[in-house]
Order: sequence, then structure tokens, then C-alpha cells
Amino acid sequence: MSLAIAGMGWVTPLGRGVDSVWQQLLSGDEASATAISEEFGHRHYSVFRVPESALTGLAHPRLRRASLISRFAAAAGLDALHAAGVKLDPQNSERTALIFAISNGGVIYTKRFYRDVVDEGAQSASPLLFPETVFNAPAGHLAAILGVTGATYTLVGDGAVGLAAIKMAEDLMASEPLDHCLVVGTEEVDWLSCDAYRRWRLLRLAPPIEPFNEHQCGMILSEGAGAIVLARDGPFTIECVHPGGHFAKRAEAWEILKRILRDLSPSEVDLVIASANGTFVDLAEYRALKAIVSNAFVYTAKPALGESVGAAGLWQVILAAQALRSEELPPVLHADPAIALRLPLSRTFVAGARRAIVLSCGVNQQAAGLRLAIRP
Amino acid sequence: MAKPSSSNGKKASARVAVVAAGVVSPLGFGLAETLESLRKARDCVSPVMRFSVASCRSKTAGQVLDDRLLAGQGEGIRGHRLHRASHMMIQALKEVVTQEPQFKPELAVIGTTSGGMSYGEHYYRSLRQAEELRHAPTWIANYPAQKPAIDAQEAFGISAPCQVIANACASGTNAIGHAFECVRSGRYQRVLAGGYDALAEMVFVGFDSLQASTPEKCRPFDRHRTGMVLGEGAAILALENFELARKRGAPVLAEIIGYGISTDNFHITQPEPSGVGARQAMERALQSADISAGEVDYINAHGTATVFNDAAEGRAISTIFDGVPVSSTKSMMGHSLGAAGAVEAIVCLLALQHQFLPPNINFQALDDRLELNVVANEARPALLRVALSNSFGFGGTNASILMRKFEA
Repeated sequence: MSLAIAGMGWVTPLGRGVDSVWQQLLSGDEASATAISEEFGHRHYSVFRVPESALTGLAHPRLRRASLISRFAAAAGLDALHAAGVKLDPQNSERTALIFAISNGGVIYTKRFYRDVVDEGAQSASPLLFPETVFNAPAGHLAAILGVTGATYTLVGDGAVGLAAIKMAEDLMASEPLDHCLVVGTEEVDWLSCDAYRRWRLLRLAPPIEPFNEHQCGMILSEGAGAIVLARDGPFTIECVHPGGHFAKRAEAWEILKRILRDLSPSEVDLVIASANGTFVDLAEYRALKAIVSNAFVYTAKPALGESVGAAGLWQVILAAQALRSEELPPVLHADPAIALRLPLSRTFVAGARRAIVLSCGVNQQAAGLRLAIRP
Repeated sequence: MAKPSSSNGKKASARVAVVAAGVVSPLGFGLAETLESLRKARDCVSPVMRFSVASCRSKTAGQVLDDRLLAGQGEGIRGHRLHRASHMMIQALKEVVTQEPQFKPELAVIGTTSGGMSYGEHYYRSLRQAEELRHAPTWIANYPAQKPAIDAQEAFGISAPCQVIANACASGTNAIGHAFECVRSGRYQRVLAGGYDALAEMVFVGFDSLQASTPEKCRPFDRHRTGMVLGEGAAILALENFELARKRGAPVLAEIIGYGISTDNFHITQPEPSGVGARQAMERALQSADISAGEVDYINAHGTATVFNDAAEGRAISTIFDGVPVSSTKSMMGHSLGAAGAVEAIVCLLALQHQFLPPNINFQALDDRLELNVVANEARPALLRVALSNSFGFGGTNASILMRKFEA
């Protein structure tokens, strides 16, 4: 079964709006890094934050006390529905499913809630914060805003979870009488997540992210959301979603990526939107790409936008759609020209490009892929 | 890769068999111990030992004993580093694999709410209190919610793509329901489905802060109910296309025949008071199974024993069903959150296989405002053909599955 993308919404450190962010990427813009600190931590980390202006005008009683991750998701989800021309009403709300992709979740409120417990004891725990710490809080808020009364799911995973959510949407739309499925990937960034990834030797302290660099200096975390409305018809067709799988060791990641690429019929593909983020993922993708799709253009936006983990897969799909729509690729920032992949090092026209592969390799053992085509 | 539903666009509708099942919960390790605990109406709730509950209203939980859980050390795969949740999943999958060594899943759909939360707690507490962080990389690596699902697969050489559903307390039932839809549609032939959650201080304190948990006994649907007791556990069911299972001679333990999901959008922690969300989930499950309410012989309720849940669920049940026996087995083992729906699906499976009604213990008197036929305090023999299991969660998410006894 093939699915169509009928609308997209994008909230990133370069602002909000698919066309706006895309134009900045084409121009070679890079998000500004912000230093964040924590009262008990000596170290500062650099992150790419969503500017406050991106959430201007987003007002709903349900979001009054909601976490940033929920606000990002609501903004992207509402924009995607608007772009698709979908208005939910009591008649069609049951025929619309909502699927969220999340990795670290509401880490800011979770940390605040547990800090009170650690510092002052259980009697100080906040009953207002606790519900916001639950993984499906963002989905619950958006479902309430939209009035969705049917299926609502939150999937948790690593950077590949966005594609797992699209796979789930495909399965749902094949077995349920659904008109639309709104898939949202969302993440917020906090000092605690930075410190955790740093201790796991996946983070660097300051930009740039240097994709496919053999030294694997690490990633910079970012935040935001991406949303797509899946429908039976639309300008982009998701021809195949590969569920991928998991790898036991980092050194084995490239084998599963190779299998995904091979199964996605790479001979017909013009470009690949990779997940290279400055970690071991890059070498795995490099080896798989060299082995299976050495002729396609390879683009990663992570040097410009950062690693948004739960949102990353949706961002990649939006990038693929925009590249096919505009027949252009933005420059891959901070890439060594000697890397033996077809990286667009400057704004590059890909005239006649019809198909793209999105390849997602997470840092917590999961990988997946999909093939996207633009309607003639 | 998944197969398309059908060539003509019409939805395929395969029967879905449960060919193996595994469980670890406060009721016991494995199906046999679980069955015995259910039949004997054991109260498996005990004082919390894993962390201090001195400042909490509630002091008890249903707990899986570490001396048995950790005895195998995760079948040798870096076992000492794994989270308890991984060990629970490994135990549950071991029972599945022992029953059906030939079962090769194309997909695993697993529910949870908090992943390896206690490792996150260790990490944060150590940072905050400037304590030893030598183990931090292990805590961080084993914290993610998908890790126990992957660890369990790795322990038995299985490598299926994993969808980890975190729909709060409905997660386990959502996981089984979605897996059921995947097999019924014909897109998959074999799917592992289940759920897990391990007791964590943050979650315990969270429910305590909401005053949702009780300092007393858990008394679902009782006039004097005062709240829930938390629990933990893991359960996995192996779902397979019925015809293929029969063809290869696999045992059919039961059939999943229907699934309903709804979102009620009322409040992030409370159900819509009239029970409309719960009612929709149950009605959609009946519709999905193409059976009438009169064909349901037993309901394993969500039944957390909170004032709000039991009132809304009780109203919804009595709106649809007329005197069907109802019990909440959370009274015996606590509420295991993301595992609850999966563990309770196994309770339904055992009830259907062994023809009895699992009990709702600690029950004194029915809430005056409810019209329910509660299976009070003792298991009862009964002729059961169809069982319904409910799970409802934060965020207004509601799920119901229907299971049918297999009659050859």
C-alpha cells in the first residue's frame, strides 16, 4: 500500500514553517547555538533551541501549562493539517488517527518533578507536573485541541522512531477506515539530555557537527517538531516504509542500513536524506551508502539543525519532500570535501529528481528507512 | 517486509491465534503460577522495599521478587547491567520461546510507560547529590524505553522491528490490539505483542501526589474504595495468522477477535465522567469482532479502584452489558501500568482456557451508583467463551480487546 503526504508542518531552531526553514537551509544558514548550564553541573553544553517567535500565536487552554515538547508538537501538527486543508469536525475526527514519535520526552518537567522529590521529599512532588512527564502527554494535548476521538498512539524510540511511526500509520491506514493520519515527531532539549549523551560519548561541547568525519566528534542536540498528514492522495507518495530493525553493536549498524537500502530499490533513487550527526552513525551510513547507492546525492541537515532525536525522522521526510518539490538540495555544512560520497557542498540543483530515500539510524540500536516519490 | 492487505482494496480479515504466552508479575513467574494465584485469590501486594516511601500516603505495591528475577542474569547477555524491566521481558519471552521455539515474528509491538526509569533516577540523583557516577554510562544506555524489548529479543536470537507504544496505562492493550490488527489485515503473519513496566520511585511518587494511590487495600468498584496500588511485570503473547498456525500444528491457546480504541479528550488524568471514552472503546471492540454485547461472558476491567475511573468505567460497562461478571485483578497484583493490559490479557487467556472467573479481591460492598456483577473475593467456575479486557490511561486514551476460547 502506498501513502501520500498531504501536508507538512515544521518547527525547528531555524524557525517555524516549511518554506521558511527550507529557504534558510538552501541559503546555507545554520541554527545559532545556545549555551545551557545547570546549577549542579559544572559543564556548559551547546544546543540549538527553537526561537520563542516560532510559537507566537499558539494559544489554547490545553497548552497553558503544557511543556515545550507539547507546544512544538501542537504548532507543527496544526500547520500540517492547515497545509493539507484538513479541518477536523465531529464527523471526521473518528476517521483521523494521531501518531506521535518521541525519544527523550518531556525531560524538562520530568527533571523538575524529580528534583523536588530528591531535594525535599515525596511530599513536595507536584501533581500538576507529574501528568506532563508521561510520554503521551503531547499526544493527549494535541488530540484534545483537535478533537480526535479515534486512535491516538505515542511511539518511543531513538532517532529512527519517526519512521517507525510512519510505518505504524501505514499499517493503521491499511487495516482501519481512516481518511488521515497525522504523524508528529517532537523533542525538547535540556541540560540533562546533553549530559547523558556526553557521558555516552555521543555529544560534542560546541558546534559544528561534522558529518561523515572519521573522527566522529559528536553531535549537538536540538529541539522542535515535524508533522506530516498522511492521506490516500497528495503531492508526495511514500512508496515503501522499511521497518528496519535493531543492531546489537554499533559496529553492526551498517549491515542493517545496507539491507534497508537494498530493499528500498536504490537504483531508482536520486537522493538520500541521511541521519549522519557526527557520531558512529556516520560511519555506518557511509559504509552502507558506498556499498548500495554510491551514485545518489546524500544530504544531512544535522549540521544546520542539530540532532532532534524523536523529531529527526519527520524532519528528514520533510527535507526529502522539499528536495523533490524544489529539485534542489541545500549544502551539507561542515563536510570535508574529500569524503567519498556525493554530498552537495553548495546549493545544488537535482533536476528531474523523482525519488528519495530517507535513512534513519538511531543511537540506541534502531534503524529504519522509507522511499518517497513526487507525483508526476 | 509487510504484505499489502489485499489486491482489490477490500480489507482482508484473517483470524488471529494466540499460540504462546509468557508472563511475570506479582502473581508469579509463568502461566502456571499465575493461574494458581488467580484461583486462590492471592493478595500479592506487599510493602515497597525498593525505595523509601516514608513520605508517601501509599506504602505498598505488587512487586516481582528480585531473587528469582535476577537469578538467571538475563541469560548471559551483559545481564548484570540490564534494567529489571529487561529481566522481566526476558523471563516473559523465555516462556513464549519455550512453548513455541519455531515462532519467528515479523514485528514486535510492546507497551510501556516508563522504560528504565529507575536508572534515570539513579543518574539524576547521583548528579544532584554529587555522588559517584561511574555507572552512569550503564544507566543511560539501559534507560531508553525500547531497550528491554530489544534485550529480550537479543537473548533469544530474535530480530524483529520493534514498535514501543507509550499510551500510558492503556499501552499494553494498545500493543496487543495493534498487533492483532496487523495480523488480521494480512499484512503480517506473526507478531509478538505485550507490555512491561518496573516499579520506579518517580512514578510511585507521582501517583501518590495525585492522591490516586491508596494507603489501604485496593478495592475496585467497592463503595469504600480509596485508590490504586501500583504494580510491575511483563507479559508477551505470540500472535499468528490462525490458518498458518493450524497448518503448522501450533497450539492455539485462544483467539483475539476484536479491538477498540478511543480518545476522550476530557482531562489529562481523569476520564470523562459519563464513561463515554470507555464505552466507545468497548463498543468499537464489539464492532471489530462483529459480536453482540450478550456474547461476552467475562470482563477484566481496568478497575484501578480510583473514585473517578471505577465510576466512569462502571457506568460504561452497565450501559453496554447486562450483568456480565466483572473483576479487576489489579486488586491482587496492583496496577502495572504499561504491562497491565498485557498481564490482564493473560488473565483472560487463563480464564478462557480453564473456565473460571478471576476474582476481584478486597471487595466489601458495591458502589451504590454502579450496577455491576462483581466477581467478589473468590474465583468461580464458569462457562466462558468470550472475554473482554479494558485498559484506560492518562491523556484520555482507552483500549479494549476481545478474546475467544479456542474450540477445535
